[in-house]
Amino acid sequence: MSAQRRRAIALLALTSIILVTLDLQQSGSTSLVRSIFGTVFRPVEGVARIVTRPVGNVWNGITNYDDVVDENDLLREKIAQQEGAAVAAAASVRLAQELLALNGLPTLAGINSVSAQVIGDAPSNYSQTVEINQGSESGIKVGMPVLNAAGLVGKVTKVFANRAVVMLVTDPEYALSVKVVNTPEALEVGNVDDPDAASASSSTTTTTTTTTIAPSSNIPGFTPGPIVTPSTTPGVSVSVSVPSLTIPSTGALGVRETGILEGRGPSRVPIVRFIDPEQRFGTVLQGTPIVTAGGSLSLAPPDIVVGTVSRVISRLGTAGPVLEIELVADLSNLSFVRILLYQPITESSAP
Amino acid sequence: MIDRLLPIVASRWTRLVLVGLIVLGLQTTLFTDVRPFGVVAQLMLLLAVASGVTYGLEVGAMSGLLLGFMYDCVLNTPLGLCSLVFGGAGALAGALPFFIREPSWWLKIAGVAVATFVAELVFPFAMSMVGLGGWVRPRMVLVALGVTVINLVAAPLALVVSRWTLKASLGS
Repeated sequence: MSAQRRRAIALLALTSIILVTLDLQQSGSTSLVRSIFGTVFRPVEGVARIVTRPVGNVWNGITNYDDVVDENDLLREKIAQQEGAAVAAAASVRLAQELLALNGLPTLAGINSVSAQVIGDAPSNYSQTVEINQGSESGIKVGMPVLNAAGLVGKVTKVFANRAVVMLVTDPEYALSVKVVNTPEALEVGNVDDPDAASASSSTTTTTTTTTIAPSSNIPGFTPGPIVTPSTTPGVSVSVSVPSLTIPSTGALGVRETGILEGRGPSRVPIVRFIDPEQRFGTVLQGTPIVTAGGSLSLAPPDIVVGTVSRVISRLGTAGPVLEIELVADLSNLSFVRILLYQPITESSAP
Repeated sequence: MIDRLLPIVASRWTRLVLVGLIVLGLQTTLFTDVRPFGVVAQLMLLLAVASGVTYGLEVGAMSGLLLGFMYDCVLNTPLGLCSLVFGGAGALAGALPFFIREPSWWLKIAGVAVATFVAELVFPFAMSMVGLGGWVRPRMVLVALGVTVINLVAAPLALVVSRWTLKASLGS
């Protein structure tokens, strides 16, 4: 290898290592370089976005058409199921917020937020980020939590004047303190059957066959009752089932335990670790809700819905279980997000 | 003053930056949506290794450094990390004539593929070395294979683009 080649490679390696070192030390000069490059590059990117949009649309049309049709059908069905549950849940949330406010406790409703549109995904295979079209001009700062209508999406990691980069919950660098709300088994008080409400079969000239649908809800703590849909046929006996009333027993309110949520990349679900395996907490079951823990050192305020437990991996000794989490937010299909203008203490020194 | 500036503006490196900006524009818009095999095509890496294959080790290393630096500016990774990996990939691709004198077109394309595969495998390790762990997993082999196949297909075009971009003089 000639001396010139050796010099070229040495120069390359040294320059890169110096740059990496400067950036890891959070040097102001590297931020300035990124900012200047961003100013030069944004117009080019804007033009490229406009020019290439039809090509992207054609590609998505070819590759995703069947999936979109199936997804639309599924969504219509889900909307129909959840419309009723959402009204009841909204009332419950309102009540809970009023109670929290009445007791002087912080609520999500008390935190200002900014809505933003997702304008780009990560251009790399080794990064789980999205870019949004709001930045420091809207009051966004590094560390602020980002959510969509379903739940937590990630946190802001870089802020420019009118755009920002959001690290998704699935990024291996993402970690957050969360609560596992391990609800004890609700006490089935029993069917509050009204004898006059034709709970037993009675002979009439018509028959009402009932179909009982057990609706599901992603909302923690909300258990919708069964939906009864009667269909009437003349000439047969009537059988109507009355929805059962589920009341949690006194003193059996949800026991909360904190752990650390960690992302593991795009192909693996996030996990929660460091759950204390103490008796009081009981056994964590699939479907147990996970919410943010909050606290002065946390990156997010308390009680933002993150997801539900999809799998519990037990470990020997005092290590405690590892929980795999199914996120409520669909990170593969983000369009609009909400940034809570909540600045955690740990990030307050960043721009 | 203008006499001094003109050679700089007309230099191959200025052309590389301008072409790099356009390629980066495509990378951050079209190719974040269009993901063949579920992976993001790495156009900047492709251009860097194509430059190396076409013009040799020094030019490949320098192109990789410049293009990697531009890519670093839009990524969340530390500035200089892509420069290091792309520069190394460009140099590796540029070492092809060291082993094969006057390689044929298909050998150049194969060189692009090999350098791409190596760079895509090295990148997660480089991230781990600067504290960005969690990416060194079996999936990275699939990602590297996916990116390699994409670059293999796009290599003929990239070789033409890099040949024009890094030509010593546009008149020649």
